[in-house]
Amino acid sequence: MRNISLILKQFSRSVLLVAGFAAMGLTAHAQGDAAKGEALYKANCTSCHKLDQRLTGPALGPAITSETDDKWLTKWIQNNQALIAAKDKKALAIYNEYNQAGMNVFTNLSDGDVANIITYVRTEYKKMQSTPVAGAPGAAVAETGPSNTLVFGLIGVIIVALIVILVLNKAIGTLERLVLNRKNLPADELEPEVEEVAVDRLATVKRLAKNKKLVFFFILAGTVAMGSWSWVTMWNTNVHQGYQPKQPIAYSHELHAGVMKINCQYCHSSAYKGKNATIPSLNVCMNCHKVVKTESPEIHKIYDALGYDPQTQKYDTTKARPIQWVRIHNLPDFAYFNHSQHVKVAGIKCQACHGPIQTMKEVYQYSPLTMKWCIQCHKRTETNYKNNTYYDQMVQVHDRLKRGEKVTAAALGGLECAKCHY
Amino acid sequence: MESNKKYWKGLEELNNTPEFVESNKHEFAEPIPIEDILSGKGLEGRTPRRDFLKTLGFGIGAVSLAACQKAPVHKSIPYLIKPEEVTPGVANFYVSSYNGHAILVKTREGRPIKIEGNPGDVLGKGGVDAQVQASILDLYNATRLKGPLQDNGDTSWTEVDNFVRAELAAIQASGKKIRIVTSTVNSPSTQGVINDFIAAYPGAKHINYDAVSFTGIIQANQNSFGKAVLPRYHFERADVIASFGADFLGPWISQAEHMRQYVSNRSHEALEGKKMSRHIQFESRMSLTGSNADTRVTIKPSEEGVALINLYNAISGTTLPGSKQLSNKAAQTAVTLAAKELVAAKGRALVVAGSNDVAVQVLVNAINSLLGSYGTTIDLDNPSYQYKGNDAEMVDFVNEMKRGEVGAVFFLKANPVYNYYQSSAFVDALKKVRLKVSFADYNDETAAECNIVAPNSHYLESWGDENAVEGYYTLIQPTINTVYDTRQAEQSLLIWGNNPVKDYYTYVRNTWNTKLLPLGGLAGQGGWETLMQTGFVKAADKPAGTYTFSRDLNAVAQTILSQSSKATGGNDKLELQVYESNTVRDGKHANNPWLQELPDPVSKVTWDNYVAISPKTAKEMNLEEGDLVEVSNELYKAELPILFQPGQAQNTIAIAVGYGRTKSGKVGDGVGKNAFPFVSLANGTFQGNSVASIKALGGDKIILAQTQTHHSYEGRNVIRETTLKEYLKNPEEATGKGEEHKTYSLWDEYDRPQYDWVMAIDLNACTGCGACVVACNVENNIPVVGRDEVRRRREMHWIRIDRYYSFNEGSEVVTREKEIDKLENIDDVSVVFQPMLCQHCDHAPCETVCPVLATTHSSEGLNQMTYNRCVGTRYCANNCPYKVRRFNWFNYWNDSRFENYLQNDYTELVLNPDVTTRFRGVMEKCTMCVQRIQAGKLKAKIEKRPLQDGEIKVACQQTCPANAIIFGNKNDKNSEVYKALQSERTYYVLEELNVKPGIGYQAKVRNRTEQEA
Repeated sequence: MRNISLILKQFSRSVLLVAGFAAMGLTAHAQGDAAKGEALYKANCTSCHKLDQRLTGPALGPAITSETDDKWLTKWIQNNQALIAAKDKKALAIYNEYNQAGMNVFTNLSDGDVANIITYVRTEYKKMQSTPVAGAPGAAVAETGPSNTLVFGLIGVIIVALIVILVLNKAIGTLERLVLNRKNLPADELEPEVEEVAVDRLATVKRLAKNKKLVFFFILAGTVAMGSWSWVTMWNTNVHQGYQPKQPIAYSHELHAGVMKINCQYCHSSAYKGKNATIPSLNVCMNCHKVVKTESPEIHKIYDALGYDPQTQKYDTTKARPIQWVRIHNLPDFAYFNHSQHVKVAGIKCQACHGPIQTMKEVYQYSPLTMKWCIQCHKRTETNYKNNTYYDQMVQVHDRLKRGEKVTAAALGGLECAKCHY
Repeated sequence: MESNKKYWKGLEELNNTPEFVESNKHEFAEPIPIEDILSGKGLEGRTPRRDFLKTLGFGIGAVSLAACQKAPVHKSIPYLIKPEEVTPGVANFYVSSYNGHAILVKTREGRPIKIEGNPGDVLGKGGVDAQVQASILDLYNATRLKGPLQDNGDTSWTEVDNFVRAELAAIQASGKKIRIVTSTVNSPSTQGVINDFIAAYPGAKHINYDAVSFTGIIQANQNSFGKAVLPRYHFERADVIASFGADFLGPWISQAEHMRQYVSNRSHEALEGKKMSRHIQFESRMSLTGSNADTRVTIKPSEEGVALINLYNAISGTTLPGSKQLSNKAAQTAVTLAAKELVAAKGRALVVAGSNDVAVQVLVNAINSLLGSYGTTIDLDNPSYQYKGNDAEMVDFVNEMKRGEVGAVFFLKANPVYNYYQSSAFVDALKKVRLKVSFADYNDETAAECNIVAPNSHYLESWGDENAVEGYYTLIQPTINTVYDTRQAEQSLLIWGNNPVKDYYTYVRNTWNTKLLPLGGLAGQGGWETLMQTGFVKAADKPAGTYTFSRDLNAVAQTILSQSSKATGGNDKLELQVYESNTVRDGKHANNPWLQELPDPVSKVTWDNYVAISPKTAKEMNLEEGDLVEVSNELYKAELPILFQPGQAQNTIAIAVGYGRTKSGKVGDGVGKNAFPFVSLANGTFQGNSVASIKALGGDKIILAQTQTHHSYEGRNVIRETTLKEYLKNPEEATGKGEEHKTYSLWDEYDRPQYDWVMAIDLNACTGCGACVVACNVENNIPVVGRDEVRRRREMHWIRIDRYYSFNEGSEVVTREKEIDKLENIDDVSVVFQPMLCQHCDHAPCETVCPVLATTHSSEGLNQMTYNRCVGTRYCANNCPYKVRRFNWFNYWNDSRFENYLQNDYTELVLNPDVTTRFRGVMEKCTMCVQRIQAGKLKAKIEKRPLQDGEIKVACQQTCPANAIIFGNKNDKNSEVYKALQSERTYYVLEELNVKPGIGYQAKVRNRTEQEA
């Protein structure tokens, strides 16, 4: 009975979907669930395919058109090797076009799964074509927008005000001269008056200098200004926020993490396992760049470092020499920081400390990395105790939670010296 | 109840000498001369003010300029292709083996940084001794050879191979002998390679030569039972142990194994069962074993054999011909009483002797046979292979060389030019040999005399195996590529012997595949992979047979007596015993600064050897402590300083071997004097007992770098001790736990919401060996400061082992008020060891005085030390009642004065990257291995599970073969440490101060009987 109801449910869902697509004026070849398809697509396809661009494999959007033979495509996706082995013409053509680099075999995907994926690809690609391309990066820019606009706006207002003042001054001057001209006063009479004014001005300064209160005020203001300037400078000594050294390879996080949406973990897997996030070793780069952008001079730097010859696809270890990246985030040696504690246990996003890394063409130090900054975060951040039986032992935590209080890292001793200094 | 027995760390404390009183007024030995500056001309003149302003101006300018500096550029260089198993920042552990122990090697980013015992190790069960801990430093030692040498000039391996092969062919053709001299080889693969080599050159022979040899025992077992083996002793099965000069808790055969066995019968588990073994030690010098004995009786070295004859007589009820009484009446009585106790514990008794004399060991066999020890406490069927040296073969070999019969000789891990008893004769004989090859990894004394030095790789760079005891095979696997251009000796022998197996790894694999894996029920690739996980295979023990001694002992007794009379002093001659040092052993560790700076467990002397003498004897000879004397016999003399050693037998002296190296490397050269030439050849074996005369040389006194009274409690009593009898009557006797006190506290209590890290240290388990000290040094990047700084009381050890003496005066205890004539009884003292480290007090006195809050308390009960906050006022150290804080007087990591120890480019690779190296001017102390606590907690968090008890082990606890240290969370009522602290024996040091220390000690219990008097 249960099975039947499940089947009924699925059936009705697909019927509804078909109806939905028909209403939107789309020709639905495969009857699939786009939502399910999205998850499957992201899990299985994105490492080699993009919708609108050629990656390791062909761009799927243009490839899967309304004319595509879905049955053949399903077979191809599930087991392309079998098709190639069977000398299927279409299959061989693709195989040869892509340097005989075989596509992975997905026998684990059912027909329904494949249908879901195809549906997703079709709907998503259509959506992409109908929306303007500039949309995506725009959002990211907007994120940092307000503060900059405000600053520039203020500067603009000040400049405009200055111009207005100058123009008004000029206008007043012209008007005064006009008035004087109209009275036809002789010019030589005016001369001594001007001199008098100059003398008067100096006298004013002198008079002001004799005003002790005023002098004191200026000195006080000067001291306060200098003091606060040096205070800020000293606090920021050795704080290298914004440090953006030139790297040996023009690697862009904007492209990889932003546009391509490659998960941080793909390259910085150590961050989830240990203390260091680590710069990935070159074999990680080669996972994609053996086939992607092989002509780029930047990618050739990787090949040179590895002693890899893209023509023969052979490695010559005698020519290999490591790439010397410039370290951006430098903590002092006496501070112990462990990435896995923050990323894996606490579930903190990389961006929390590294800033909008997905928009950085060249990485800079986003956070000040001062102890104050660490402490502030420890005071504010709630502990990620959910689904972690490690925290079950902590009786006090339970009491606090019962009282509805927030349990921060600081409440668990996260501000104690020997948590970071040993 | 607080005992009013008097404990003292050294004679200066006992006598309250003015120097001792003066030096102990201050936490630090040398005050900073501020007074002098202020009271002298100091600030009066004009220049100081101007200089001050100049300095001030320069300082501000320099600081401002430094602040303007741009961010220093740090390079970050990732792997080209990262090995799959390496995650930067996460340690990997590999199994390996050293000195027969299965070990785990901790590596970080491909470099070994720490040795831990393998919990499955048959010998130590996870505990290892100081030498194993320190062995890792030898890997990075800068004085190791960087490549092969020919006639002391650099050469290449190809040239060496060609030369040696050509020479060997020529020597083989000339019919001269080829000899391979090694220290004991117990590796099946190495032995196989040597055997193959001998097969290739039929004139060759392999000689096992141990500088400190056990030939006497092996030969005695051959004579007595027809089995030429070193037996495996089972101290855990013995209820009564009588040792005649055998330092079995020290370097004697298998330290960690014996410690574990011995303590298992004495620690809290045994005491809970109302049981404890009894240990009686007869010896002339105060050894580590003697200091742990329940009853210790001093006898002269020459009387060890005589005492055994008396013991035999008392046990057997017969009288061997020529038997005579001991010169010391008390000792004579003690022997008789010991005999009674041993007989009463028949089948659970064990007698061991340290002598290398075959006759003495035959007599010991006879006694053990009468006591029914074979098959119970002594196992001849599962013997030990840790020492196989054959003294007679070595002597024969030297004679062969003298006769010019030897054409080629190979030295593997043997250094006879340094440690052969007739060194100069050996050097002369060696000159007659055509091809001399040394596999030494240093250009040591023997290597310097050889024409080829083919440096062997360190064990952490090597493949191999070991077979310490019957049926127990451990694997050695490399954990790093060779640091220098070295090659395994076995590889060299394979090449020179034209072996069909071209590389030693294959050879080792073959040995395991064909012979060793099947013993553990393993096979093939799968078996090999299992082995890489476990590190060893252990075949089931063979049944230990009982052996009965049935030989005539008359001749044996005659030999013992004649030997005894030869070694008896008199006419200004003192009896001399040379012994193996507990730290540098036979000298092979002399170049290891960690072991040189590890204080001798008993004398607490670092960086030297000395003449240990009883203060009474010294007084009779008008000698004072520190006097330089010349010790001489007919053949050799050495100049050494005098050390007053309580417990040393009258009219005897003792000198440690292993010092006086001349070509060990920068660290070990010129430290102490060589005592090996005092060894004599008697009855076919090398023996350490002889006679010598001493002559005062006058001149300045030598100040030994002795740490014994560096950290004084001003005579406050910190030791709790009881006897087994009292303990059984009232377990709280020693600690007075039951008594109620009202306490008041000035401070608020801390919350311990989750963890309360504490420690329990069992004084009855601690033997004082010092393995924890070295383990702590390795784990926590503790600098080595050298002899001169130790003299200034500036050693940096975070954990130290305090050694306390107390007088035995019958059943009466000697109190402060009732002091007796000390010198009369100075050789009858007991010893208690107490590991002392930061107590992590809840109400820590150091915390309240720190003006910059550099030392604070954590919510987990730790006393935290924040180096980057410390400004070096040293108030904390002055306020610490336990004297456990250490000040960095220098930047030990970048100061040319200390460059020999740890700061070489290679040596720095041994540092633990998770622990900061401290800079000049900051305080440091035990952190309770907070890096391990944090790592353990993080592991549990990542795996989303609660932290298990025992999961986090601190470095000192991890290495302790006696399991004397237990660390854990006191909040967990099921934890080991909580249970241990509930013991009636638990007390806290200086509890009366109410600083609430986090480390509880369990009182010492001695198994004394009223029979002693």
